[in-house]
Amino acid sequence: MRSLVRFSAEGEGFVPPSSNDFNLPPIFGDNAYTTKPILLVGLSVILISVFFLLSSRKAAIVPSKFQFAGESVYAFVRNDLARDVIGHEFMRFVPYLFTLFTFILTNNIFGIVPFLQFPAMSHVSFPYVLAIFTFVIFHYVGIRKQGIGKYVKEIMFMPGVPKAAYVLLTPIEIVTFFLTRPLTLSLRLFANMFAGHLLLLVFILGGDHLLKGVIGLKLISPFAFAFGIGLTFFEFMVQCLQAYIFTLLTALYIAGALADEH
Amino acid sequence: MSNREENALWSIFGYLLSGLIFWGGIGWALDRWLGTGFFLLGGLLVGMAGAIYLVWLRFGRD
Repeated sequence: MRSLVRFSAEGEGFVPPSSNDFNLPPIFGDNAYTTKPILLVGLSVILISVFFLLSSRKAAIVPSKFQFAGESVYAFVRNDLARDVIGHEFMRFVPYLFTLFTFILTNNIFGIVPFLQFPAMSHVSFPYVLAIFTFVIFHYVGIRKQGIGKYVKEIMFMPGVPKAAYVLLTPIEIVTFFLTRPLTLSLRLFANMFAGHLLLLVFILGGDHLLKGVIGLKLISPFAFAFGIGLTFFEFMVQCLQAYIFTLLTALYIAGALADEH
Repeated sequence: MSNREENALWSIFGYLLSGLIFWGGIGWALDRWLGTGFFLLGGLLVGMAGAIYLVWLRFGRD
């Protein structure tokens, strides 16, 4: 494989996709705030706002298809994510969870929308920021609800354990709550989007390159494109799933912080 | 998969990872400090044991 890549690189200059393909230069001059991911995030905010404003504007008892689409998404987040997970205090957290879900979902799906075709979440800073929001919110909620002493005590000391075992267990609990949770939350989203985009690049750029080769390679090219198309549908599934999991785990963490004992 | 199972899955994953990171990290640091080679393995084992104990405490008791 290695030699094949090098061989084709020497011949016609096929450069296999790498992490360099994610560092896109600014679109307008030298302004670092006009890179593709940032513009896409801005676009996603506009699209989400317009969509939900329009779909809720002329709300009627018998909803139009448009209104129905908007309300379905809202009902899904409110009922299946917030209410089922958090319980009777769920309404306070619906705005955050709803924003989180639609924002991640839209940006993920941009990864397979023709001409946009870039998931902003494949830049690790975006998931980091979202995870920091979740991290701050669930700890804040827990501290407000139980008081800082009780909240920290409950994280650190699992009840019903011999005292000596706390030496072993307490550090693990602290690392879990303050490091592993936000880190896995953001890295899972980042890694899925990064790997998915890279996979699509490999098959589609590869297919394109094969098409320029000799006749034997031309014949293989359609298979690469077919795989690329198949993987695009697979990516769509992953993109929806990742938006769901991020929101679900946020709701679960909030529920855990609200609960009296964990 | 229900929300409850999803919660258990990710909590268990988080505990196992944290146990390995913390106690494995301490073992690694001791190895670096003392020039030995067995603390890392010991730390990883201790971390794994502690994490599994925590998982049992949270999900296995009731």
